[in-house]
Amino acid sequence: MAFIKLKDVCFGFGPISNRYEVFENANLSVEENEFVAIIGFSGAGKSTLISLLAGLQKPDTGMVMMDGRPIEEPGPDKGIMFQNYSLLPWLSVAGNIELAVKQVFTEMQPNERRDYVQNYIDLVSLTGSEYKKPHELSGGMRQRLSLARTLAMKPEVLLLDEPLSALDALTRAVLQDEIIRIWEEDRRTVVMITNDVDEAVLMADRIVPLTPGPAASFGKSFPVTLERPRNRATLNFNPEFKKLRNEVTRYMLQINDEAKALSPAEDLSLPNLEPRMPGELPVKSPV
Amino acid sequence: MDSGGLSFSNLTTKFETTMLRPTPEKTKTPSVPFKYRLVKAIDVAGLNFLTPVVRLCFGEEPRKQLKDIGLYIVIPILAMIFGVCGWFVVSEMVVTKSGKLPNPSETLAAAGSIWDFHVRENDKLSAFELTGAQRDARMAAVESRLKELEPLEEEINKEVTEEGKRAEERTQQRTAALEKKYDEVKKELDSAAEEREKALKAKSESIDKSDVDAKKAYIADVRKHRKALDVAKERLRDLKGRIKTLKDLKDDKLAAVLRKQTQIAEERQYLGKMKDQLTKTNRDLKVAGAKKKLDADLAAFYDAEPSKMYLAASKFVKGESRIEKLKSSEYAKPSTLPFQIKRSLLCVFVGFFIGTAIAIPLGIMCGLSKTVMAAMTPIVALFKPVSPIVWLPVCLIICSAMIPDPDKHFFTQWMWNLPILGKYQINPAFLASACTVALCSLWATMTNTALGVASVDEDHINVARVLRLGFWDRLFKIVLPSALPLVFAGLRISLGVGWMVLIAAELLSSSEGIGKYVWDQFNNGGSRSFANMVVVVFVVGIIGLILDRMMVVFQRLVSFDESPTAV
Repeated sequence: MAFIKLKDVCFGFGPISNRYEVFENANLSVEENEFVAIIGFSGAGKSTLISLLAGLQKPDTGMVMMDGRPIEEPGPDKGIMFQNYSLLPWLSVAGNIELAVKQVFTEMQPNERRDYVQNYIDLVSLTGSEYKKPHELSGGMRQRLSLARTLAMKPEVLLLDEPLSALDALTRAVLQDEIIRIWEEDRRTVVMITNDVDEAVLMADRIVPLTPGPAASFGKSFPVTLERPRNRATLNFNPEFKKLRNEVTRYMLQINDEAKALSPAEDLSLPNLEPRMPGELPVKSPV
Repeated sequence: MDSGGLSFSNLTTKFETTMLRPTPEKTKTPSVPFKYRLVKAIDVAGLNFLTPVVRLCFGEEPRKQLKDIGLYIVIPILAMIFGVCGWFVVSEMVVTKSGKLPNPSETLAAAGSIWDFHVRENDKLSAFELTGAQRDARMAAVESRLKELEPLEEEINKEVTEEGKRAEERTQQRTAALEKKYDEVKKELDSAAEEREKALKAKSESIDKSDVDAKKAYIADVRKHRKALDVAKERLRDLKGRIKTLKDLKDDKLAAVLRKQTQIAEERQYLGKMKDQLTKTNRDLKVAGAKKKLDADLAAFYDAEPSKMYLAASKFVKGESRIEKLKSSEYAKPSTLPFQIKRSLLCVFVGFFIGTAIAIPLGIMCGLSKTVMAAMTPIVALFKPVSPIVWLPVCLIICSAMIPDPDKHFFTQWMWNLPILGKYQINPAFLASACTVALCSLWATMTNTALGVASVDEDHINVARVLRLGFWDRLFKIVLPSALPLVFAGLRISLGVGWMVLIAAELLSSSEGIGKYVWDQFNNGGSRSFANMVVVVFVVGIIGLILDRMMVVFQRLVSFDESPTAV
C-alpha cells in the first residue's frame, strides 16, 4: 500500500473560456519512507503538485491520498518547505521555529520547548544565530531555518519545493548533504521537487519526471539503486551514476521535444530578407 | 554526512563551518563597535544628516564624509540663511493695516516676550503661595529691583519725549517740500478755477437770449470747467496722500526707544503685581489676617450678651468657612502660550487615540473580509473628504448636548479633580476639538490598516494554514505583525493631519490652545500680535516636525524589513 497516492488527478486554473490545465490524469504513488525526486521543466506544475500534496489546493477531479485517507486540508503532518523560505520576518530564528512548535506540541512546557527548539537549530547548524532576524541571514541560512521549522513539526511527509534552487552551487552542495544526513538519521517519506538531474540522482531513491505542461502527468520513473551513503566526490566516476544521469536527461529532453511537436504552435513564415549596405544595389537572388 | 577520509563532503563541511555558519564566539558576545550602534541609532531616529559627522569623528573616509556634510548639513543651513534674508527683504515690502510683516528679529523678540510673560506669570503664581522667610526674601529682591528701575524709567521717559520731538521734526523735514508744493499747486489751481469761472460768467452776458446753439456751447464750456475742477481735486488728493504716507512712516529710532520704554514699563508693572502677590493678595498673609479677625470674633462671642450671642456666633462660623476658602484659593493665572501648547498636545493625542481606536479595528475588519470592505467603501469615500470646519460644529453641538453644564456634570468634575489632567480643564470645546481631530485623521490609518491586512504575503498565509492556526492566532501572530509597518505609516499620516486640523478646530471652538492663542492675537490687534502670530507659525511647525519624527522612529522600530521609511 502506497503511503502517498495521486489518483487520476486533474487540476486547472481559470474560467472555462480560458482554462489552463496543469494536470490531467496524473498518477503517482510514493512508498513509506521513500525519497522521491520529482523533476520537471519550469512551468510543468511542480509547485502546484506540492500544493496539492500539502492540501493547500484541492484537485478538480481525482484523489490525493495519504496513508489511505484523502488529504482534506493542510496540516503539520505534511511538512512543506517553501521555495522562497516563507519565514516570518518579524520573528527571530528561534521565534520562527517556536511558533510552529507551540502550535503542534501544545502540551510542551516552556523550558522543554526551548531545548527542543535549540535542538533543531543545532541540527541545521544555525547555532549562534538564534536571535537573528531572517533578513540578517544569508540565503543558505534562511533555507536551513525553513528546513528546521518544517522538521520541528515532526511531519509524516516532507514536501520540499525546489528547496535549493535559489542558492549558489557551493551552498547548495552543503545543504544537499545536510538534508540527506538529517533524512538518514530520521527516515521519513520525502517528496522533493527539483530541476537539477544531478541533485535528484544524488539524493533520491526514485526519480519521477513530470511531462511538460500544459496538462502534465508523470512519466516513467527511474529507481536509483546507488548505495547510500553516496559520496559526491566519487560519484562522478561511478558508471551507474553516469548512466542514470544520462538516461534521465535524455528522457527529459525527449519528452520535451514530444511536447513541442504536439503543441499546436503556428508556424509563421518569415520573409526572406538579406541585409545590404546603404546605396548598394539589390542583388538579384538566383532563382 | 560521509565519514570517509579525505572526501569532498568533508571539505564542504569545513567550508560551511568557516564561511556559512557564523562562529558562536562572534555572535554571542555582542561586540558591535560603538560607532555602528550610534550610526544605527541615528538611522532609527531618522536623523540621517548626523551620520557623516559621526563617521568623520571616527576618521572614516574623511573626504566622503566632508562631501556628505556639505550636502546634508551645510547646504540646508545656507538655504535657511537665504530664507531668513529673503524674509527680511519681504517683510519690508508687506505693509498692512496691522503693521509691517514682522521680520525675523522682531519675531525673535516676540518669542522672547512670550516666554517672559510665561516666566513672570509663573513667578506670580509662586509668589502667591510663598510663606514666611522665603516670602520676605523675595519681597526684598522685588523692592530692590523696583528701586533700580526708577531712575531708568525716568531716563527713558525723558528720552522718549525728546525722541518724539525729534521724530516730529524729522517728519516735518521730510514732508516740508511736499507740503510747500501742495500749497503752491492749490493756489495755482484755485486761481485758475476762479479765472475760468469769471470768464464764463462774463460770457453769459454776451449770449443772445434766443441763440440756442450758443447756449449749447455754453453748457459744454461749463462742463469742461467742472471737469477741470475734478482733475484739480484729484491731483490735490494725490499730493495729500503722498504727504500722509510720509507722515505715517514709522520712525525707527523712536520705535526703538518706545520698545525700551514698554519693556521697562512691563517689568515695573510685573514687579508691582509681584509686590501685591507677596503682600496684599498673598494667600498665607490673607489667611493669617483672617485668623486674627476670627480670634477677635471668638473673643467677641465670649463677651457677647445673650441677645447678641446668635449674631456673634454666626459671624465666627462665617469667618471659619472664609478661612477654608482662602486656604484652597489659587492664583487665577492667565493661560500662557506654553500652557496652551501643552493643552493642544493633549487634545491632539486624545483625538488621535480616539481615531486610532476606531480606525484600526475597522481597518482590520475591512482587510480581512471583502464583504466588510465592500460595505465600508462608500462610507469611507463619503466622509473622507469632509473638512474639519464642517465636523467641528457638529461635534460641538453633540458634545455640548452631552455635557450641558460642565461646572456640574460628573464627567467634567471628575476630570477637573484629576491630579495632572485637572489643570487642563477638559470641557465640551476640548472634546469637540478632539473628536474633530479623530474624525479627520482616522481615514489614513484605516485605509492603511485595511491595505496592510489585505496584502499579507500569500506564503505567510500558507504557513498559517499548514500550522492550522486558529482565527485569533492567525490574526495576532501572522496578519497583524506583517501589517504593522503599514499601520504605522498610516498612524504617522493621521497624526500629521490631526495636528493640522486641531489648530483650526481650536480656533473655531475657542478651546484653550494654540488655535485660540492665534485667534486672540488676531482679534486683539495689539502692536505685537502680528509678530506673535508669526511666532506661532514656527511653534506649530516645530511641534509638527517633532511629532512626525516620533512616528518615524516607531515606524522604524516595527518594520522588519530594512526598507527605509520615507522621510
